[in-house]
Amino acid sequence: MNPFRRKRLIRVLPDDRFEILFPEPITAMLAEYGRQLGQILDDDDPGLRRLFPSAYPDDPDLDAAYTILARSELADARRAEIAVLNDTVDAESVSRDELLSWMRVTNDLRLVLGTRLDVSEDDLEDEEGSPAHEVYHVLGLVLDEIVAALSSGLD
Amino acid sequence: MTAPMEVVLEPETDDLTDLDKVWKVVVWNDPINLMSYVTFVFQTVFGYSKAKATKLMMDVHEKGRAIVSSGNRTDAERDVKKLHAHGLWATLEADE
Repeated sequence: MNPFRRKRLIRVLPDDRFEILFPEPITAMLAEYGRQLGQILDDDDPGLRRLFPSAYPDDPDLDAAYTILARSELADARRAEIAVLNDTVDAESVSRDELLSWMRVTNDLRLVLGTRLDVSEDDLEDEEGSPAHEVYHVLGLVLDEIVAALSSGLD
Repeated sequence: MTAPMEVVLEPETDDLTDLDKVWKVVVWNDPINLMSYVTFVFQTVFGYSKAKATKLMMDVHEKGRAIVSSGNRTDAERDVKKLHAHGLWATLEADE
């Protein structure tokens, strides 16, 4: 055992399943924030800007046509993934598809929080102590663990 | 007897050129998305190798943007929507 190697918090099991080893407060936080995100997805909230970007920033007509269909489609897909997270948050292991939903919800939460915090690439280290920045930091660690687990065997 | 009416289907020129155009899918740098995440999304959405996905991610990170795929407008828009579902900042550009 290498004491300097960080313990992975998701264990890759046979049959493409994944054992979740996050501490309970972390999974509870993901589920709660996911639920809150689900409630505001249809709102006109500037914090959601990054979840529903313009596809044609230089062409208002094409962009409006895209947005009419994509906005509700993307919101529905996100609600479905939040539901998967909620249904599997206490499970001992999850499938690849379920973990992909965890991944996208976690990234969405980072995007909304990062947008609200107005995160830039350099200022993160300076802002320690703020609870919102702590949560943002933890979401990044969670996302990194999920991506590492899903990437194993992918090349 | 009258000659059968000749039906000429006039294509709407704008639409035709629009559909004939090649559209580029551009991913823009943002300060939030993790590098590991962006690489993983390129691998899974497009089936790119880890090497190709990593190169595109580094292009986004260092140059501010990268063209990650291209095609007719329908295909390119489908790719953009997949990237938006993953929270990536993707846009479409006509190849002039």
